[in-house]
Amino acid sequence: MDEDNKITIGNSKNQIIETEVPMGTVHSAAIEPYRIRLFVEDEIVKDAEITIGVNHRGVERIMEGLPVEKANSLTEKICGICSNIHLWNSVLVAEKALEIEVPERAQYIRIIVAELERLQSHLLYLAHGNEVLGHETFSMRLFYIRETVSDLLCMIGGNRVQYGVPVIGGLRPRAELDQMRIQKLNEGMDLLEEKISNFAQRFVSDPMIMSRITGVGTLRKEDALKLATSGPTLRATGVEVDLRRDMKEYDPFEFEVITQDGGDVKSNLLVRVLESLESVKIIRQAANHLPEGNITNRSWDMQDAPITKSYVEAPRGKLYHSYALEDGRVRHSIVRTPSIANIGAMQYACIGCHITDAQLAVVQCDPCFTCTDRAIQIIRL
Amino acid sequence: MTIVDSLIALTAVIGTLIVAFVVSVWLPGVERKFIHARIQQRIGPPISSPGLMSPIKFFFKEIINPNSPMPRLYNSIPLIGIIITIFLLIIIMPQLYPLAAFASIIALVGLLKVEEILYMFMGALSKSVLSLKMPFPDVVKGAKHPDVPRSFVEELSAMRAFRLIAFGSFPIYIAIFVPVAMASSIFLSDIVSYQQVHGPVLFSLSGILGAIVFFIGFMILLNEYPFSILKTKADVIEGPLLEYASKYRAYVYISRGLLIFVLSSIFCTLFLGIPPNLLSWTILVNILMAFIFTILMAVVSAFSPIFTFKQFYPVVAGVSVLGILAIIASFL
Repeated sequence: MDEDNKITIGNSKNQIIETEVPMGTVHSAAIEPYRIRLFVEDEIVKDAEITIGVNHRGVERIMEGLPVEKANSLTEKICGICSNIHLWNSVLVAEKALEIEVPERAQYIRIIVAELERLQSHLLYLAHGNEVLGHETFSMRLFYIRETVSDLLCMIGGNRVQYGVPVIGGLRPRAELDQMRIQKLNEGMDLLEEKISNFAQRFVSDPMIMSRITGVGTLRKEDALKLATSGPTLRATGVEVDLRRDMKEYDPFEFEVITQDGGDVKSNLLVRVLESLESVKIIRQAANHLPEGNITNRSWDMQDAPITKSYVEAPRGKLYHSYALEDGRVRHSIVRTPSIANIGAMQYACIGCHITDAQLAVVQCDPCFTCTDRAIQIIRL
Repeated sequence: MTIVDSLIALTAVIGTLIVAFVVSVWLPGVERKFIHARIQQRIGPPISSPGLMSPIKFFFKEIINPNSPMPRLYNSIPLIGIIITIFLLIIIMPQLYPLAAFASIIALVGLLKVEEILYMFMGALSKSVLSLKMPFPDVVKGAKHPDVPRSFVEELSAMRAFRLIAFGSFPIYIAIFVPVAMASSIFLSDIVSYQQVHGPVLFSLSGILGAIVFFIGFMILLNEYPFSILKTKADVIEGPLLEYASKYRAYVYISRGLLIFVLSSIFCTLFLGIPPNLLSWTILVNILMAFIFTILMAVVSAFSPIFTFKQFYPVVAGVSVLGILAIIASFL
């Protein structure tokens, strides 16, 4: 295969392809419904095509005409894993459009919840990755580590999923952090840091696992940029891009943007492991330097606003929300999840892999097809 | 041999089979409850569930005819598997040794080979719904490669079974020939007699190497992690066994438990000189070895990812070389 022109060749219809192995939309290796057509020769994937659309709910369409508060809470239902980041970004659109000042204490708590969510998303990713690798023991252990994060999110938001923390102007009162909660957060971070570090050490020193993940599902930096991938999938190819660097909410915090050079499954897994440790660092900073004051600014008035955009760094990459306000109601809502851009990378990462590794190559891009499905509009053919 | 002797021998054979069956239904439970679940820090299923209660449950499930070009043959293969496993056990019992060629390594290897081939038949004869066309056109205008023939996931596992027949079974056959080389005979009676005189093969260098090779071969034959490419969850899911339901699924479960017992009994016969015999206390050694093999297999599988052929080939090659070294050592 011509390495310099891999994308063109991957999509070419002229190459000899022995057979197609269709998988999905229901498959044991996929935690979400999607269909992948693998075009193979002697069990080696020559091309791949991913189709989504079986779980469409059209959240954007439902949001049209709803009062902005209701529409915001609806965005939380887009994704079970990263519900908070959808809600936060949707709230950010309203706050930007209505020029609302959010209290500093609320910003800090929003960061804590966002980073906890990143932790649980990355740990889920690692657990699922190990499951697809066939390493059930590591998968189970990662799920146990994740329990700590879920418990902390439940402590703050009252739920293990869909915590509903941000509201326009600040936070829900339930999410206020007192000393006892801060102490529990710190204890949780100590535990997580220890367990994640131990796992990482054990993981990288296992020759069998390294043999399975090194050089598998490789995505080159140039291709990742050409395919407009984002988030850890992009950073695993060596591109140092993290929207948190541009978000003013993250200005008070020190953290590293983690990158790896390989672009393969190993790099993707390691980026998430190391990012998890950075999230622990951010949460500690936020919890220990939590400013005093209110958590909600209620002194704002509803007014009409043109289409306003907001981008945030979701656990899986760049998340986009935009809508306009008209009589307090949402108009022209658009949501774009990171997976919509990463699907191209998934299709591409499969090429050249053994079929068993193809699912791993898809999983390495951390797909969230269900969020993507719910947000996009299906064009009937 | 008098009629009484024949009756005693027949009773011993039937009794040993019953013991084998009773022990084998607990082995999958030991594997999953006491090893996998403990290592993975979870409660796990009841010990009787995987090997005993599940087959009983499946016997009472509604029979579903699979999507197969030859459904009767496809459904009968697990039963054939059980019959072959029983034959494997019978030929290593001392009561069958007077039948000479029937109780020899040739018969053993032949039956093991049939056991392997069955997976290929299963995969080739199954066409599950998982690879069928979608109810909506997924090869739409603009789709990639619309005219490519489709393959079912079970066909993939059939091809993999074919590869395993070609190279994956090397370790177990090489290991089987270590005691043959030491006893200078292919007859099981001679191999057992040799060990009664000279001590177990296992207590020699070539025996230890052979035992390691046998264990790897045992795991490959049982398609256990990390050698379970035949039924990888990431792509072919259950592979050849995917479409088995109701009583046919029960046969699959029974067959697996029985095969663990039988293979460990083959090990006892070839490497310890202790064939399964109800009329001797040594049957306890066979039972103990079945549990030891189960535990060892479970520990290895709990800490391994699935091997693709990239890892499979070097491991099989390395283990085969070790086996050949064991055979060479047996001549020294």
